[in-house]
Amino acid sequence: MSLLSQPELRAALRGFFESSGYRRYKMSKFEEYDLYAGNKNFLMSEKVLTFTDTDGKLLALKPDVTLSIIKNFRQTEGVEKLYYHESVYRDGGHGFREIEQAGVECLGDVDEYAVCEVLSMAAQTLGLIGPRYELDISHLGILSEALSPLDDPEKARVIELFGGKNFGEIENILEQNGVSEDVKARILQLSRLDCPAAEAPKQLQDILGGYVSWERLQLFCDTCEILGRKFGSKVRVDFSTVGDISYYSGIIFRGYLSGVPQSVLSGGQYDQLMTKLQKRGRAIGFAMYLDLLEPLIISSGEFDFDALLVYPEEAKPADILSAAEKLRSRGLKVSVMPYEPADMRFGEIYRLGKDGDLIG
Amino acid sequence: MAETVNIALPKGRLGEKVYEMFASAGYRCPELENPGRKLTFENREAGVRYFWVKPSDVAIYVEKGVADIGVAGKDILLEYRPDVYELLDVGLGKCRMCVAAPKSFKDDYRKTLRVATKFTSTAKEHYAKTGREIEIIKLNGSIELAPILGLSDVIVDIVETGATLKQNDLTVVDTLFDISARLIANKAGYRFKSEKINEIKKNLETVKENRK
Repeated sequence: MSLLSQPELRAALRGFFESSGYRRYKMSKFEEYDLYAGNKNFLMSEKVLTFTDTDGKLLALKPDVTLSIIKNFRQTEGVEKLYYHESVYRDGGHGFREIEQAGVECLGDVDEYAVCEVLSMAAQTLGLIGPRYELDISHLGILSEALSPLDDPEKARVIELFGGKNFGEIENILEQNGVSEDVKARILQLSRLDCPAAEAPKQLQDILGGYVSWERLQLFCDTCEILGRKFGSKVRVDFSTVGDISYYSGIIFRGYLSGVPQSVLSGGQYDQLMTKLQKRGRAIGFAMYLDLLEPLIISSGEFDFDALLVYPEEAKPADILSAAEKLRSRGLKVSVMPYEPADMRFGEIYRLGKDGDLIG
Repeated sequence: MAETVNIALPKGRLGEKVYEMFASAGYRCPELENPGRKLTFENREAGVRYFWVKPSDVAIYVEKGVADIGVAGKDILLEYRPDVYELLDVGLGKCRMCVAAPKSFKDDYRKTLRVATKFTSTAKEHYAKTGREIEIIKLNGSIELAPILGLSDVIVDIVETGATLKQNDLTVVDTLFDISARLIANKAGYRFKSEKINEIKKNLETVKENRK
């Protein structure tokens, strides 16, 4: 496993996003609360940290970046490609937490190339952090169409069960709703579909051919084939990758890294959200949760500082300064103290002699 | 050698039955049968490592990835909604989540219904469906005592045979859902150990079928 330090990771992500032609989008930490109140289901947690501004307006510390980027999307033509690296504030189950997030958004005239580009970038972003990764993709539009014999609440319930790979209960619900044997078999096969992207087109054609819209299925199969060719078995098609169908309309994906117990990256196409916020075109993007990467990140080194310079009480400040500068000129990170602190670690310890000389 | 799969088992009677099922499926661990002071038990050849945890904590161990798989009751999964895969109904620990009340109970819709329970989310969700105004009284044990002493009007709790309710002059007034033990898996762990986890799932399924 290639381990990066926090600064290396941040630099690597920014470098990668910029080299891919994405512009940095810097935003304020605050947003009007109304934006979140109207789109609570899009947020990972409904709880939002709010406060009243000096003019009486209710503001929130951003729990999400995507909504703000869409809200501020003004382009009347073409496609906008942006990346961000921001903190968001979410309920972590036991109070609010500041979470560092980096990601990309592609808005406007999103074509099939742009979809492949974003998916490819998601896989490459995972690969920047560790060689043992997996990107799982599925298609909510296809899944939703496959579940069309069910009414909306039942459909939402079955999609949730797809997410839990709970095949037994999916079968129960399909039976309770009188879904025909043929359709039931197709849906159950789809729920179990979990294979390398390159193998997915054939399997999807076998399961869904003639049952869901040919064009949509074909586009998804083409994307799977491209990703399969580029990333081998690291990109898989797994229909347990799901989200809220009122926001996500097409491809949806999650990224996993060995050594981290949760998905560290999530994204998808959220064309419906664009429509809801009265914006033109389509949108696809992903976010990586940098706080979850802690188990894979090395601290900046074994030591707090490369060197400690300890000076005696009677030493002259000018001598101390010049000794410290001498050490720093060797490229060392140097802490200067009149004593040796017990709670810190140093690569080397130097003492300042009476004549201002360094004793190593 | 393939990676070891970490398995969280629920302490107690259910856990023992669950372990027997794993043992029958080919994942016996002699260390676990003579535990001594050890807390984790490994069978390298079978590629499994077990540890016992409080039944209500199994889902947490699995969600956080300390355990790759575990066996937890459906009651816990519905109450805490952990982000895990629910791979198999192992068919053990069958019971029901019920609303129970004293035999003389008649719901008075003019008053807030006082509900004593360990399963606060489950109870809230159930009554939210009907719009019934309730006050939740969170208890950690001896739930049956609450309506007897007038602490609550009803209870929401697990009912296995109904014997405890009967002894306390309580009766089931509504069944919320059936409960049984489920094999659950950490989503990331499943990605990187899927072959072994699916093998365990398949072997457990065979044991379950043979028991029918």
